[in-house]
Amino acid sequence: MTQFKQSRRNFMQTSAAAAAAFATGGVAGLGSALAARPKELNILCWEGYNSAQVLDPFRESKGATVKAESLTNDPTMINRLRAGEINVWDLINVNNPWARKIMYPEKLIKPLDRAKMEPYFEKMMPMFKPPYKWAMDDSGKELLGMCQRFGPYSFVVNTDKVSREAAEDQGWDLWNDPANSKKYGILESDDWNVFGLCCIAGFDPFKQHDDADVAKFTDAAKRVFRGAKMVGDIATMNQAMISGEIDFHLTGGTYSASPARHDGATNIRGITPKKGPMRDGLGGIAWIEVTSIVNNPDVSPLAAEFLEYVQDPKIAHTVAFAEGTFNPVAQMGSKECFDLFTKEELDAIQWDSLEEEMSRSIEYDIVPDYDKLLDIMTAAKREASGG
Amino acid sequence: MSDESTTGRKSILQLRQLTKSFGNFTAVDRVDLDIAEGEFFTIVGPSGSGKTTLLRMLTGMETPSSGDILLHGERINDLPANRRPTCMVFQSLALFPHRTVGQNIEFPLKIRGVDAASRKKRALQLLEQLRLPETYYSKNVTKCSGGERQRVALARALAYNPEILFFDEPLSAIDYKLRKTLEKELKDIHRETGKTFIYITHSLEEAMVMSDRIGVMRAGHLVQVGTPNEIYTAPRSKFVSEFIGDVNVIAVQTQADGQLHAAEFGTSFVPPRLPNGFTSGHLVVRPEFLRFLDRPDSAINCLEGRLYNEYALGSRIQYQVRVGEHVFIVEKLRQQAFGGQRDDAVLIGWDAKDSILVAE
Amino acid sequence: MSLRKFAAGPLCALPIGLFLLIGFAAPLLAVIGFSFMPPRTFGLFLNPTLVNYIEIVDSTSYISFLWSLALAAVTVAILAVICYPVAYGMARIFGKWSMLVTLLFTIPLFVSENVRLYGWVLFFIKNGVLLGTLKSVFGIEADSWLFTTGIILWGMVYVYLPFMLFPMTLGVAMVPDQIREAALDLGATRWQVFREVELPLSMPGIMIGFLLSFVLAVGAITEAKVLGGQRVIPIIHDIEIAFTYAQNWPLGAALAVLLMLVVGFLVLLVLRRFDLDAILGRR
Repeated sequence: MTQFKQSRRNFMQTSAAAAAAFATGGVAGLGSALAARPKELNILCWEGYNSAQVLDPFRESKGATVKAESLTNDPTMINRLRAGEINVWDLINVNNPWARKIMYPEKLIKPLDRAKMEPYFEKMMPMFKPPYKWAMDDSGKELLGMCQRFGPYSFVVNTDKVSREAAEDQGWDLWNDPANSKKYGILESDDWNVFGLCCIAGFDPFKQHDDADVAKFTDAAKRVFRGAKMVGDIATMNQAMISGEIDFHLTGGTYSASPARHDGATNIRGITPKKGPMRDGLGGIAWIEVTSIVNNPDVSPLAAEFLEYVQDPKIAHTVAFAEGTFNPVAQMGSKECFDLFTKEELDAIQWDSLEEEMSRSIEYDIVPDYDKLLDIMTAAKREASGG
Repeated sequence: MSDESTTGRKSILQLRQLTKSFGNFTAVDRVDLDIAEGEFFTIVGPSGSGKTTLLRMLTGMETPSSGDILLHGERINDLPANRRPTCMVFQSLALFPHRTVGQNIEFPLKIRGVDAASRKKRALQLLEQLRLPETYYSKNVTKCSGGERQRVALARALAYNPEILFFDEPLSAIDYKLRKTLEKELKDIHRETGKTFIYITHSLEEAMVMSDRIGVMRAGHLVQVGTPNEIYTAPRSKFVSEFIGDVNVIAVQTQADGQLHAAEFGTSFVPPRLPNGFTSGHLVVRPEFLRFLDRPDSAINCLEGRLYNEYALGSRIQYQVRVGEHVFIVEKLRQQAFGGQRDDAVLIGWDAKDSILVAE
Repeated sequence: MSLRKFAAGPLCALPIGLFLLIGFAAPLLAVIGFSFMPPRTFGLFLNPTLVNYIEIVDSTSYISFLWSLALAAVTVAILAVICYPVAYGMARIFGKWSMLVTLLFTIPLFVSENVRLYGWVLFFIKNGVLLGTLKSVFGIEADSWLFTTGIILWGMVYVYLPFMLFPMTLGVAMVPDQIREAALDLGATRWQVFREVELPLSMPGIMIGFLLSFVLAVGAITEAKVLGGQRVIPIIHDIEIAFTYAQNWPLGAALAVLLMLVVGFLVLLVLRRFDLDAILGRR
């Protein structure tokens, strides 16, 4: 609801702004101040970066007005830039593929000062060793963004009901077992569910799909949604797992399980399958956030400063444990940052298996026929209504 | 007096020590009353006198705290309103705004399960009896004028064919002229239907026009019951006499020589026939019985005052005369107008037989 | 001078007029405009097309429409049965206590709907307040009621109750005491008084309650999401998906326009049948 309200409001704002812009015959759009904006910073991000814990020290030290809006969906954020809000935002924080594959080619973002920023990657965990693919453009010359939060994201089980071992072995076939009907929920995050359903149907999500794949996807979508006990947000999934309403849920990982784990429910665990239908037989999918500077004609100088600010070990730790969900951060590669994490915090983000899980995962990518698969999934969800 | 007017007629409704209290407040206090069959009886009283509460007990909308209501000699205290053979025309008329005139009139018949054709026949009869055009049958009741709505409300009550019809000041919101017409019309309908009418009003004038008998209420008590003539000519208290209209009232007490001493004026007056045991009370003189005098000995009782103002009241002229702080009202027919000027010193007086002595 | 006098009225009305235009008409027009744009585009001034509407007709969206309308209709029916006695009590019986009842029904409105519904989740969830208590105190192990159609209705009745109750209370309070008494005095039984007088005369309030709660309930989404675990996808949820995950604004706009048309049609149908003015005797 909240999310919808927000998008509806934004939609209205955009419409009104578009109408206003049209009426004045300009293309200025929102926040069309011609003056420089040395003390103003606008961030479009996933939740966490908009928290006061992260922003307040920056606000104070710079004496700046920082506005951050959080959304829980990459395409929505990118479409807002496309719809003209490129004049509004200075930073955009989305998952890995969008910067190099979409936003940079569409000139929605601009490159960073590579010489100044790339050294930060040296201090990150080994997997981010520069030049890090998802931070670079296709040519490999331009640095497009900075990395911080990441995590494996396949599914979550209650290990009291299904052991970690069994879940990792059975992998996506957990959803192909008719005996599991009504034992699971589906976390409402539709892009990830498209990936998950592809894996359940037995093929790589991140390739062009033929008709046979689509037919298998349709079948899997109908079956999985009909068998679901319920669909809901992270809180609902964790609540239902803890109370025993469900035993496992589709698409989830450290990002979604960490709040429950941090609360002591360490039997709620993100699982990365040992094998699967992806490249090299990999079974898991992981995400890495890339934060880029928006190609705002009047971009704030604070944007680059903010990217440096969050590399600070203390701030990186704050970002990892900002309100909402808890996640590993690339900066844990430096001892100074890692030492700030308590044992409980490490346990919440499944540090024990993080490296292993990342190695079994391929990175979030763009599904070429995402729209088609999403429509099929939406219809399947609707058709399961009342079932 | 009440015995006299009910002689030869059967009582239809009898109240015995009827009382209604709300918490510590006694709205109706031990009222005894007999109402004869076919009588037009009006209860008059100022607002708050308990007359509406009394009426609500009679209709069954309020349960008495104590005492009895007898209809044809049978106790009906606990009989609910919808099972009493009585019906009320409300102050607000309480017409059903979502219904036509015809549907309003037919309501009690419909409730009783009378078939549509007979209902309509009766409704049209009633429209005619109440001087409403037949076309009003399908008119929206909210479109009717005030007088028309009165007639519809009465027709609806008559359609119920009650033994007793109650009226709760239904004419109070109507302008003077139309009210006068409707008062007479109501009395005509009373005659035509021969039903018992019990009417409530705060206007004694209205009561006088229509009623066979009048009961005056004050603070929960029925203080006097009588024919209009009795109430007018022989009020038993200052309250009743003042209720009739403008009167001159002087506080008096008896003195040794049998005359009445009026302390306010430092003089004494010759009384009418002195009731037994009278020691103090009020002397009431109606304005039309006060005269302007040429000489102090032109009347047996005389006062000297100052002409303060005069008011033309149609066929009569009213004068205000001040004796000290006390205001006297004198009324003359227009043809016999008094020629004095404002602030003239005048003599006013009256004959002993023209005054009334009341104990309270 | 005369010019100033002439222009004063319209001039004063200008700000509110502009506000209405921007705040109400513009978004509405934008939604209508978007519904005729090619799928998955973000401009308002492309070549208009009916593709979105054709896509909706060809799809299974009717399921969501039917769910929304059916849930709303059943909610309104349940609310009518529950609220009339309470409204009657508040208007005629409770006296000074009706203020307390009003507060009881309005205070929850200050808490966000989401929070209240999550509260019910905790109440109904397995091993939650209800089932946990049943289990530990009485040893009864019942199936969870969450994530069913019944619980969605429960949530909707709970959330929309005030929107039925208060107009209904006003409706019942609008019937003058004397009219009720007059009907009784004319021989009507309590039931006849209700059927012939009270019900028709309180109809304006009842109808407003019906319309208000129906229109709101058709737009319900949280109940199905939170309590129903998305086991039912109401039409608003489809619209939300189109505007968010699917990023298909034109499709979402077309669904929204269709919903407005369907609800508008139903409301007009009801208003034609029950002419409020006529009921109130104003015409």
